[in-house]
Amino acid sequence: MNIKEMLEKILKDLRAVGDVDASAIVSRDGLLIAADIPQNINAEAFAAMTAAMLGAAETATSELGKGVPDRVIVEGKEGKIIATGAGSKALLVVMTNPKANLGLVLFKIGKASDKIKEVLK
Amino acid sequence: MSIKLGIPVIDDVIDIPTGKVVTYCVDPEVEGDVFLMQTLHENSEKCKCTLVITNMSPMVARNRFKEFGWNINFPIVDAYSGLVGDLSNEKYVVKDPSNAEELSKIVEDAIKENDLVAINSLSTMIDLCGERIVEYFKSWGKLATINNSVLVVNFVAWPYDEKIINAVKACSNAIVKIGGVHHRVIIGQYYGLVKVDWTEVKKKLILFKVIKPGGVRAYIPKILVTGPYNAGKTTFIHAISNKAVSVDRLGTTVALDHGYVEYKGFTIDIFGTPGQERFDPLLKMLGGEAFGVIVVVDSTKPEDFPRAKEMLEKTTKFGLPYVIAANKQDLPNALHPEEIRKRMSLPTNTPIISMSAINGEGVYDVLDALLKILLG
Repeated sequence: MNIKEMLEKILKDLRAVGDVDASAIVSRDGLLIAADIPQNINAEAFAAMTAAMLGAAETATSELGKGVPDRVIVEGKEGKIIATGAGSKALLVVMTNPKANLGLVLFKIGKASDKIKEVLK
Repeated sequence: MSIKLGIPVIDDVIDIPTGKVVTYCVDPEVEGDVFLMQTLHENSEKCKCTLVITNMSPMVARNRFKEFGWNINFPIVDAYSGLVGDLSNEKYVVKDPSNAEELSKIVEDAIKENDLVAINSLSTMIDLCGERIVEYFKSWGKLATINNSVLVVNFVAWPYDEKIINAVKACSNAIVKIGGVHHRVIIGQYYGLVKVDWTEVKKKLILFKVIKPGGVRAYIPKILVTGPYNAGKTTFIHAISNKAVSVDRLGTTVALDHGYVEYKGFTIDIFGTPGQERFDPLLKMLGGEAFGVIVVVDSTKPEDFPRAKEMLEKTTKFGLPYVIAANKQDLPNALHPEEIRKRMSLPTNTPIISMSAINGEGVYDVLDALLKILLG
């Protein structure tokens, strides 16, 4: 199994949790590394904007003296987006439906993020 | 002889010759007395100054100056203590400030003995002594002319009788208006010369901020810095800013840079964009309400010039002023600015400024060039 397949496996396992509509692994500078994303979403723009979002949030909180945030959660009527770091070079972003059980999803995202960190080491 | 008001931008436009009356005409909702204080601070070492106070005690006045990091090392005309029954140790004391004759006599003494007399505030005098003080004000102006001194006055434009306001304006050789930018509430403050009767000046309103310590600073809320990937935008922003924050990941900007610049009496907020195309949706967001744009290009990479031009067009749609910063001029294969102009087919009046952001060379020339366009 090569690295790409390993990363895709991690994303596929996330999808199996339920309530997860899409997920992607993105480099910190906004390039797509691996994705499990429906055709109708522009994966490249999605990757760049989530990198901007997490990057801006991290800089904002550290400038305010509140350290580095664990994750950014964006909640909307149509769904939620959760972005979290996955090692120093990558981040993991997950889209869920609006009714998703965040407790379970966040737990699984944490596990996945650790795995990605190991794989990309 | 002439004096400077000590106010950014206005100082570049006019000197105040002796014998003139300058009025700071302040909208009531704006705290404008810092302008008069700044003029005193600017001149207190250079000539004999005095401050006439009618609306605060000498101690409060000294503390107000101290808040801005300034000292009162000149005599005060105390036309306040008499009102509240305090004793006063100041050089000039008006025993009964509501007595126009006595007040006027002492102000006349101050004008005769000083080069710059600042009155804070004429409106309080009108409230105390009634309209007739305006007649005295007229004669103080004449006395200043004869004595070669300058009279600077703070006038809060309360809704007085039109007649009074017009009389005050007519007695003033120059008027600096200080007001608020309204959008239901006051969202900004501006000042500008609205009258100068001894020379021609272009009338222009300038946004400002008051900094403690420091005083009045002309304020530019947003200058956008854009340009292709790896052109040196972030390096440039860090080179000119007193304080800068960047969202950089793996050596490139992923969201924005923000820089705070204090320069030549200005405070400027600078926003930098990412350079790579995948971040282009952010350009429009960051570019909104910018006052001007700086496009940074790598002078050694002509292949990136079309991208620079594309970014320029994306951010300057509404005819915003812009300058091109020809970066990396320290490298041997850097193109000359005129060569860049040719290859980017830019108009001859577009400033293209050489710089090396990494060495800090020419970075302020870039800012100067943009400020020059912004201030006309």
